[in-house]
Amino acid sequence: MSSNGYAIRLEGVVKTFGKKVQALKGISFTVPKGVIYGILGPNGAGKTTTLRIIATLVRHDRGVVEVLGHRLPEERAEVRERISYLPEDAGLYHRLTGWENLLYFAMIYADDIESAKEMAARGAELARLPEKDLHRKASEYSKGMSRRVALARALMVGADLVLLDEPTSGLDVFSAYTIRKTIKEFAKRSGTTVLMSSHNMLEVEELCDRVILINKGTIVAEGEPKELKRRANASNLEEAFIKLVGEFN
Amino acid sequence: MRRSLYPVVWKELRDMARDIKTLVAISLLPLLMMPLMGITSIYVQTLQQGVAVVINEDPGTLTIGNATFSTNDLANSIVAALKSKGFRVLNHSVKSYDIMVIIPKGFRTNLSSLTRVALIRIVKSVGSAKSNEGENAVQSVLGSFARKVAEAKVRYLGILAGRQVSPDSVLNPIVYTTVLVGPSGTTVSVEESFRVMLGRILAFSLVFVTTPSIAYITDSVVGEKERKTFEALLATPVPRWSLVIGKTLSASVIGLITGLADAVGLLLFFALPSMTYGVNLFSLLTPGLMIAHVSAVYLSVLASLALILPIVIRSGSYRVAQAFSLAIISVASVVFFISLYADINALTAPLRYALYVIPYSHAVGMIKQSVLGEVNQAAIHALVIIAEIGVLLALAVKLFSEEKIIYSKT
Repeated sequence: MSSNGYAIRLEGVVKTFGKKVQALKGISFTVPKGVIYGILGPNGAGKTTTLRIIATLVRHDRGVVEVLGHRLPEERAEVRERISYLPEDAGLYHRLTGWENLLYFAMIYADDIESAKEMAARGAELARLPEKDLHRKASEYSKGMSRRVALARALMVGADLVLLDEPTSGLDVFSAYTIRKTIKEFAKRSGTTVLMSSHNMLEVEELCDRVILINKGTIVAEGEPKELKRRANASNLEEAFIKLVGEFN
Repeated sequence: MRRSLYPVVWKELRDMARDIKTLVAISLLPLLMMPLMGITSIYVQTLQQGVAVVINEDPGTLTIGNATFSTNDLANSIVAALKSKGFRVLNHSVKSYDIMVIIPKGFRTNLSSLTRVALIRIVKSVGSAKSNEGENAVQSVLGSFARKVAEAKVRYLGILAGRQVSPDSVLNPIVYTTVLVGPSGTTVSVEESFRVMLGRILAFSLVFVTTPSIAYITDSVVGEKERKTFEALLATPVPRWSLVIGKTLSASVIGLITGLADAVGLLLFFALPSMTYGVNLFSLLTPGLMIAHVSAVYLSVLASLALILPIVIRSGSYRVAQAFSLAIISVASVVFFISLYADINALTAPLRYALYVIPYSHAVGMIKQSVLGEVNQAAIHALVIIAEIGVLLALAVKLFSEEKIIYSKT
């Protein structure tokens, strides 16, 4: 199946939980290959549901979802081979060391133990942890260290598409800066498509090539950050978001 | 490496090996509990001192034909028997006692009569744990004394009738013998009957091995969701069957450790009666029986995991898992209790078939048939339980739903 230059295509995607909660009300967007694409929106907007659908974890009720040329939910197995996903507040196995956490996921993707160790070593570099910390139990890690290992776990596997759900949520300034730096350098070096959600406007403005603004399960606007700012006649993305969402409401 | 069991089992076992406290707890508990049960059931009773009162209101002797009997000797024998059971024996009435034995006035007259019976009053204190033990000791002395009196009376009647009389032919006109046979119909020794009893107890001991592994697998699934590690894992290409089988096999190691600790604890439990009653129960534990026991333990654990896993995977909730765990452990306990008192094979058809749907019945069958040397029957039970486990695990894979796991409330 051809992907026609896009990594993700969603067309009229609807997802309802139970009988009343409509998380997504027919959203459509396309993510070109090789970009960092942001999903921006307040809590409960539908960002995580969108990412979970693309990550094959949740089935949409209606609409079309294509990831790397594969249709979901039918071709879940093919998609899982080519994506990696960092959920919001993703934890580590606290009795395993940082290295073992990386190696576990590497073994899932690698063909043999040697390739897995190489992959985990790549992860260790991305995690930016000193050697001694890498071999400590994850239970002894700070939140920032845990998040760096979790991010490295998602980036190291050589996926064609990386999904990051609120990667810096709840982190201090320094840890958030390190995470953003890692994502930026990784995307630039590898050319991998990154789809990330955030409610941090500054973060999205700094990292993302294109963004969609989502509110209450509906896409409010889509475009490059500077284009959205211009459209809303705003000085920054935060102001643009408030104006656009406000207009929408 | 991908699409294999290896990564999941590697991670689970490593995780388990680091959980030293849990491993020590599950290993030590059966090791300590079983011998403790033995000690409490056998020695604590003997440490408990009872109070007995023996009153002889009719002291003196009596004669039957050429034989002479003394109520003083009878009272002394009763006192000695009670003392051997740890009683403090008094010869006067007190307010509080466990057992009182009274040889009443007129006892000798009635005993020497050929037309009346002699009465001895035994008074037991209600709620006393020692009174039954005391009663047994007294009855043993009275039985022996009564036999001697009966023999004397028979001899005396023979003299009166001018006939040669054998007391045994009068008192025991029918002698019966009991022969123990095995399933093949060949005679087996009394020790073999101990082996059957051992099989029942081994089967019952399975009741202790199901709980820790069920708790472990629940934590392995629900805990992974709670610690927010599952969602990232579920988006990887790791096959769902390898998650189900990998977690099951890893959790079964916990069960196996418990089972082995349980078996060692059981040996210690048996060591006490072996020392007390002089029966060498260790000689009955053949390598074949031990293999059957450990296999039955392992398969019981796997069956427990296979029963709980579809529910845990579907619900992703500690509360639901705990409720069903309790139900499964209850069902297992019922089967293991039945195995202690009855043979499932001998039950009426509907009940037998219903029990054989439950995997634990086949674990019991494995042990009981092994005890009897019926290796083929034991193997059939093993195959059935393995098939049932396979079906349940396949069901768990089929029911695996990422969405249910992610959105369920722990």
